Amino acid sequence: MENKEYDVIVIGSGNAGLVSALTLQKKGKKVLLLEKGRVVGGLASSFIRGRFEFDTSLHQLCEFGTKEDSDAVYDLFSRLEIVDKISVEALPETFAVYTLEHKEKYVMPVGKDAFLLKMEEYVPGSTKSMEEFFSLCEETKAALSYLNESKGHPETEVLMEKYPHFMVVAPYSIEKVLKKIDMPLKAQEILCSYWSYLGSPASKLSFIHYASMVYSYITKGPVIFKKSSHAISLLLSEEFVKNGGTLKCLTGVKEILTQNNEVIGVVTDSNEKFLTRHILANLSPNVVYGQLIQNDFVPDKAKSLTNLRNFGARGVSVYLGLNKTMKELGLENSTYFVYHSLDSDREFKRMHDIFSGNLAATLKNTSPDTSSLVLTNLIFGDAFDKLVTKENYFEIKEKLAESLVSSFEKVTGVNIHDAIEEIEVATPVTFARYTGHPEGVIYGYLATSHDNLLPRIMNEENEVFIKGLRFCGGFGSRLSGYSSTYINGEMEALKTLGEMENERV
Amino acid sequence: MKEFKIGMNAKLDMLKFKNLGEEREKEIEKSASTSVKDSSLTNTLAGILHPKGIKVQVFHIVKETEDTKSFYLKPVKLESMPPFLAGQYVTLAVTIDGRTYKRPYSISSSPNSLEMYRITVKKEKNGIVSTYLFHECEVGSTFNLLGPFGHFTYQPLRDSKDVVFLAGGSGITPFMAFLQNQKFLEKIHSLTLFYGAKSEFDLIFKKEIDEICSKNKKIKVIYVLSEQKRSDYAYGFIDEEKILQVGVENKSFFVSGPIKMYFSLNEIFKKLDIPNKFIRHEIFREIPEDLVEQNFQLTIKMNDKTLTIPCNGKETLLQSMEKGRVKTLAHCTVGECGFCRSKLLSGEVKTEDSCVHEADKEAHYIHPCVTYPLSDVTIEVPIK
Ligand SMILES: Cc1cc2nc3c(=O)[nH]c(=O)nc-3n(C[C@H](O)[C@H](O)[C@H](O)COP(=O)(O)OP(=O)(O)OC[C@H]3O[C@@H](n4cnc5c(N)ncnc54)[C@H](O)[C@@H]3O)c2cc1C
Ligand code: FES
Repeated sequence: MENKEYDVIVIGSGNAGLVSALTLQKKGKKVLLLEKGRVVGGLASSFIRGRFEFDTSLHQLCEFGTKEDSDAVYDLFSRLEIVDKISVEALPETFAVYTLEHKEKYVMPVGKDAFLLKMEEYVPGSTKSMEEFFSLCEETKAALSYLNESKGHPETEVLMEKYPHFMVVAPYSIEKVLKKIDMPLKAQEILCSYWSYLGSPASKLSFIHYASMVYSYITKGPVIFKKSSHAISLLLSEEFVKNGGTLKCLTGVKEILTQNNEVIGVVTDSNEKFLTRHILANLSPNVVYGQLIQNDFVPDKAKSLTNLRNFGARGVSVYLGLNKTMKELGLENSTYFVYHSLDSDREFKRMHDIFSGNLAATLKNTSPDTSSLVLTNLIFGDAFDKLVTKENYFEIKEKLAESLVSSFEKVTGVNIHDAIEEIEVATPVTFARYTGHPEGVIYGYLATSHDNLLPRIMNEENEVFIKGLRFCGGFGSRLSGYSSTYINGEMEALKTLGEMENERV
Repeated sequence: MKEFKIGMNAKLDMLKFKNLGEEREKEIEKSASTSVKDSSLTNTLAGILHPKGIKVQVFHIVKETEDTKSFYLKPVKLESMPPFLAGQYVTLAVTIDGRTYKRPYSISSSPNSLEMYRITVKKEKNGIVSTYLFHECEVGSTFNLLGPFGHFTYQPLRDSKDVVFLAGGSGITPFMAFLQNQKFLEKIHSLTLFYGAKSEFDLIFKKEIDEICSKNKKIKVIYVLSEQKRSDYAYGFIDEEKILQVGVENKSFFVSGPIKMYFSLNEIFKKLDIPNKFIRHEIFREIPEDLVEQNFQLTIKMNDKTLTIPCNGKETLLQSMEKGRVKTLAHCTVGECGFCRSKLLSGEVKTEDSCVHEADKEAHYIHPCVTYPLSDVTIEVPIK
């Protein structure tokens, strides 16, 4: 007979769910990981069409680095003792950005000095402000790790003395800070090309959030997994099981049981009951408070906070298997941003229309004679939800693919059509199907003013509304993205561990 | 040193920083504590397009040829069947003597009429399910249906506007959905259908096809009979000469038919240097020639249960599981969909892995529907 009681139950096996489950299991806890899908990984997965295996979501992995010069994700995988089993490929540049309106093209290299030089070449006179930006980034990085170490209780004196600039810039947007340090507008715009990765325009994105990401991409360089994201998700799950963890796929949680506002267990969709006092939910608070817990048992404040938040980006991805190599195509970059203009406020507005034609692309060789190109178009607001019906769904899919491929062809001048051997299109409907996230959202909640990185982190401990229930993943405090969700998985696991230790005392 | 500030002065900036949390608190206080929104139309649509299973009832049966019947299926509970793309298939779960078998069948009806799906089944020699459907299935029978699935579809971005369909025998079924799909016919410039069968009496849907052709000038049909000579039909197999007569330059070929046809056409395509992108195949399972009839034990681990059943070197592990009354998740049964994905814990097998993920291969995952045992085998199977 199976013992149905666990120290911790992790719901969902996305990046954060996998890392948190493995972290806790390695700390000797008895962990149950429940996944409603067939395979682990959530968005971090892959699929096969013809002779191509496509990564579902990864364009660039941030905060990795190398053995000699490691960054947060590398260090995390070291702690989990899996880093030797993971091989990555360093991408040749940070990004190439193109505009449809003015046919601009900027290709930004990896490395602080190279980036700075290139920026000076594109925007003469930008060096001084870029240097200032880098030094703010360094201070931000140090301050954030101090904030982390202090577990939400930093000492004001330490902050004031050691990180005065951080304290000054922290409440502001990236746009505001760059203006303040007199960075030329064009340099600001180029530097902010990554805004869509975080899903908010530069005027809304918190400086420290954007700066931490862009600084890691510039100094450590972006990487991708050599095999696939599925390989990493599989590795994490196999390590979890090897360490004695219990993994159940095809097992969705349909109810979280609480008593006196404390977690006591879960019920699965095949009506199995498991008991626990600690749950890590790798899914949206919307689903947890709106569906998994009976409405009467959800504290009002939890509902208020959830109702306050806006969803982040939905996405459309067109996966293309091409019968030519990058060289044969005449394309040498791996990461492309295509916008109408570099004005992120304008583009953010434009991307409330599903046919904006703006996109982020990732291109790589996949064999001696093929390559794969993935075009991802973000959509903000509920435009997709409003437009699409079961009657027009397939037509809209085709149109979306056509619009993205022609955008890409327009800016690069390269014929992609003729090289397409395999094609697949994922829409918010696809992502909703595989993750269950509301509206098929892929970027959690929108990062803006009161819902930016810092306020989320600062208030996190006050926002554990039901004892024993924590959130991890893209809807959590570190927002979405591979590195954020991996790191957040460990953070939340450690906090859960802390709670368990407190209980014992 | 000059004071570093963003707003009025550095002190106020820092104060602003400290207030970030409080501001969030204030916003929360202002927000309504009504119940939380947990899904949307997009989620509903995902459910409509990809239902977990559809209960259907046979409401009409047509005997098409001596060994082929069409079954018209309507939903028992749903208002209509899920939208699908021409060329897709469904998986029928058929229970015979307490054993559940799953078989994929192309949808042979139009994507425009979703009040029902039509599937068309040819009675196979020794076929458990096809024989059952042919002889036992009656109007009123109900089944569980999975799907629609499959990538044997027309993609305007990839495929040529000049299309050649190559059908052999019951392989005509997916093409019937294309021929009845106005939207597809509007997208293309020309369509040539080669349809091979033994004799004119084995041509399924001939009347339907002729009628569609007579109304649409884009479509041309060439019937090819292998065992009957008639002046108005082509004779022999669909071969290089016949294909060259319609031209191959910049045309997309869609192939659906018996395995032998795939292989002979592939040879021709290779010879004619037709790029991969212009060749689409309906899914099929290649049965290896060197299988040996030998009995083994198949041990299956499912969650906390373990059971052992007999298996045989001439049968796929999935077939043994069906016979052994083991519930499986299989959908396509030909190795493509990955739904039967299982971990090989011990034993030796002969398997087809072109649709197995690279990382899965290294971690010893197999698709039991295309795996034959070479010894006693233990696998771990995901199960609900
Ligand atoms: C097209 C695309 C491109 C992207 N590109 C990048 C990129 O280049 N770089 C980058 O860093 N990030 C990128 N991202 C973002 C990144 O993929 C995500 O932020 C990250 O994978 C989210 O991980 P997560 O931990 O939030 O879990 P998710 O992936 O959201 O997984 C949640 C899991 O929970 C399961 N689940 C849900 N409900 C239940 C339930 N009731 N019971 C049991 N299980 C349940 C789901 O099945 C799922 O497996 C991209 C995303 C997309 C879609
Ligand atoms: S059932 Fe589709 S791969 Fe086995």
